[in-house]
Amino acid sequence: METAPDVVPLLEVRGIGKSFPGVRALNEVDLSLAPAQVLALIGENGAGKSTLMKILAGVQPPDEGEILLDGKPVMVESTRAALDLGIALIHQELNLATNLSVASNVFLGREPLRKGLIDDAVMRVDCRKYLDMVGLDVDPDVLVGDLAIGRQQMVEIAKALSVDARVLIMDEPTSSLSQSETKALFTVIKDLRERGVSVIYISHRLGEVKELADHVTILRDGENAGELPREEVNHDAMVRLMVGRDLSGYFGKKERSPGDPVLEARNLICPANPEHEVEFSIREGEIVGIAGLVGAGRTEMLETLFGVTPALGGSILMGGEKMIIDSPIAAIRTGLALAPEDRKVQGLVIEMTVRENLSLSALRRDQRPLGFLDFSKEEAISQEMVKRMRVKTPGDGQVVRYLSGGNQQKVVLGKWLAMKPALLLLDEPTRGIDVGAKREIYSLMEDLADSGVAILFVSSEMEEILGMADRALVMHEGRISGELSRSELSEENVMRLATGGDKEHLAA
Amino acid sequence: MNVKVLGIALLLVGLWAFLAIEVPERFLTGSNIFNLFLRTAMYGVLGIGVAFVIITAGIDLSIGSIVCLSGCLLSLFLSVHYDPFEGQEVFAIDPDQQVIVLSEETDMYKPGDLLRYFGGTKARSAVVALSSVESTSLPDDSGTLTRKGSLLRVEGLDANSSRDLRGTVAKLHSVKSIDAETGAVLMAGKQILLKERDQITFISPKGAMERLVVASAEISGDDTRVQVLGDPGSLDEGWFAMPLSRNQTMPVPMALALVLAIALALGLLHGLLVTKIRLQPFVVTLCGLLVYRGISRWLVNDQDTGYGNEYESSLSLLTNGKITLWTMEEPFGTYAIPYAFFLFLLVAVLAAVFLNKTIYGRYMLALGRNVEAARFSGIDTDRMTVVGYVICTVMAALGGVFFLNYSDSISPSSHGNFFELYAIAAAVLGGCSLRGGEGSILGVVIGTALMVTLKMFINLMKISDTLEFAIIGIVILLGVVADELLKRAVAKKRASQG
Repeated sequence: METAPDVVPLLEVRGIGKSFPGVRALNEVDLSLAPAQVLALIGENGAGKSTLMKILAGVQPPDEGEILLDGKPVMVESTRAALDLGIALIHQELNLATNLSVASNVFLGREPLRKGLIDDAVMRVDCRKYLDMVGLDVDPDVLVGDLAIGRQQMVEIAKALSVDARVLIMDEPTSSLSQSETKALFTVIKDLRERGVSVIYISHRLGEVKELADHVTILRDGENAGELPREEVNHDAMVRLMVGRDLSGYFGKKERSPGDPVLEARNLICPANPEHEVEFSIREGEIVGIAGLVGAGRTEMLETLFGVTPALGGSILMGGEKMIIDSPIAAIRTGLALAPEDRKVQGLVIEMTVRENLSLSALRRDQRPLGFLDFSKEEAISQEMVKRMRVKTPGDGQVVRYLSGGNQQKVVLGKWLAMKPALLLLDEPTRGIDVGAKREIYSLMEDLADSGVAILFVSSEMEEILGMADRALVMHEGRISGELSRSELSEENVMRLATGGDKEHLAA
Repeated sequence: MNVKVLGIALLLVGLWAFLAIEVPERFLTGSNIFNLFLRTAMYGVLGIGVAFVIITAGIDLSIGSIVCLSGCLLSLFLSVHYDPFEGQEVFAIDPDQQVIVLSEETDMYKPGDLLRYFGGTKARSAVVALSSVESTSLPDDSGTLTRKGSLLRVEGLDANSSRDLRGTVAKLHSVKSIDAETGAVLMAGKQILLKERDQITFISPKGAMERLVVASAEISGDDTRVQVLGDPGSLDEGWFAMPLSRNQTMPVPMALALVLAIALALGLLHGLLVTKIRLQPFVVTLCGLLVYRGISRWLVNDQDTGYGNEYESSLSLLTNGKITLWTMEEPFGTYAIPYAFFLFLLVAVLAAVFLNKTIYGRYMLALGRNVEAARFSGIDTDRMTVVGYVICTVMAALGGVFFLNYSDSISPSSHGNFFELYAIAAAVLGGCSLRGGEGSILGVVIGTALMVTLKMFINLMKISDTLEFAIIGIVILLGVVADELLKRAVAKKRASQG
């Protein structure tokens, strides 16, 4: 570890391990935080950053390893215990009661009492003290809900300081902040450092990391991937350490010659990111991947294409014709299909049977006069899809809730294939699925593309993007930061674009 | 879920068996069985309606108030009044001067006609002879002579009676002959418009009155031969007849259609408030509960209302009409099934087919379970939710028609109170989960029969009325608990297999 040998680290973790059913989230992870230091913790989605921070903040216990504070081992059994030890976690989604005042929030649960009643005067004065520490010039009686996000964040920091936090963990603190608010935050962080408070700063914004961090720790796949002292910190070095694993041989990628454009998005404005326009086209038989970090706006874009959150501006052309897609029903009519990110809540009616789920979207098309169900067509779809997708189920009358994740996903895909879509949108198609089922889904995607169906899929797994995509669109903060052709597809290039870089300096 | 339906069916049959054994002389009588069918039909319609709303994970608390509103509307739409055929409105009457002024110019009366004056607040009714008719000018409120009326000089007004500004004058015809046995009356004058169900007020020379219903009327020369219903009593030649025309506000089919149309509009309103304005169903229908009852009371001036015997042979058949099965000696009497029950069965079959065999039923079941997934799958969840609310209010209105028929008169301040709870209870007992996405029409039918039987049980076993709600509440609670435990057991078994 890179602290000077005679300075005891403020906080240290050694050999931390944590497993969840089916996945090893952290393995032998070490981290060292010196006093008065800003340490940046970076890594891809799923690298283990959140898990590690939750362990430090007492939200979860580690399976193995130890935590040392000032060189002495400690047990962080609860969030209360963490606070008592001086470790405060500031979530990406702020934990404030917007209907209460600033002072009430800062002292929530620890209000100063006088004769059994809350002593407002003392609370206000004390609060003022901490607000000054973070440079927040606000009346302690103002309702938190009336403050801008940036200032709300300051309130959270003030709150952490009021418990004499010595370690402040900040998870993606600038994701909702404006430029000026970010600047103010940085000033505060630097100030805190002067006071001897250390900050663990988790962020995908490598530019910020470069500016703030005294030291950078990189995690990859739940393990330490490297350390960078301040002098060595630059974009390339960080990206290289964040990626850089071997591609496993899932994918036999063949050359495909895509046909005419199936979908074109022109100047499309998604309600989630109204400041940006997106533009791209997808051709018949193409598999296009959408890469990007969490929060980049990928799911939102798929939902706009599918009419769940209709576009605010721009146009979508299907087969060359402009389409108004203002609802999923309209999208389906144009030949679109979407397998959503949350399969249990959005993709399936979990209490219904396999058969009922498989036929759900096709009911309208297959109805008999007066709206009667066509049971024989439903039966046909069910038999065909269970067979074709190889859904492992005791029968098509099995309630979908009892199927494994992989089989549930197959039912979702089966439902959409029954609609014979022109363009299949997939949002994290293999999330939470075992290896065998993953392979089956990949080969299904390939078969579909071969038969002329276009596929646009969002994935947070680098291997999937690199292995399956003929082409990749990389998103960053609501816009498409770049498009990578087959030959340009590499982990570094994807990460570069995903973290806000640009195409000019791509590695070959 | 079939287990649940089977369960309450067994409970129902068990209750019936118990009652049949314990109090057969009261439970198994023809009239009691008839009642069982009838009440199951009336409440069952409400239960089926609310089942659709519950299936879409909503709720409707306004059902009872809609029952009341539709009853009040129907009684208004079908109100009947009888007006004299040759009647005129009185503008003023002056018994001193033996003068009656009419509000309109008319040539309906000729000197020598016999007229009856009635309906005054101060002046006394009288039968008078008309001497002359002349035209006259009538003042308006400010005294200006603006319109024309008729001035009748008459003989026979009670000179001691006071002047008045109200009343009606109608022409009388003499009764020429009467056959008391057949009820045939011959009266002077050609009453071309007189028809079945009209009525005639007969007045004796001494002032006695009889009001009888016309069965038929035909012109015979210059006279009219009328067949009256019922006992003519002391009616005789020498009496006078005042024929009255029966005016029904609107025909029965139109009244029914209008009531159902209004209910449909209310259902649409509920549905739109829930889907477009995103209000909570509980709140929307709670307001409905309050508003519709208030409107009902206002419509009929908070008076008890009904249409009495007017529709004995038409609309009342709905609840009184029946198909007789067989008759036994007392105390059992005649066994019959009410027409209403057949209508209810029809509704139940249509509802079951709609729910289980059409894409719309499937959509509602899906959206009740998971509205987001339903939407993502291309189902128009807003439209189907609205359909649910519309079905519920239309069913409530249909039930309201039944209930109005069932009682001679209904009291708008309390009619229909708590009916939504019975309906929801029946639906829940029958397997509808308030979480949505689950429901069986057969279950609702059996659940309703169970509720009706429970009430009967309390009555027949002479258990105190006060405990009625308590007992019903406990049965529902036990039913739901049993359902939950059963579900859990089934789930455990499934999970360990799968």
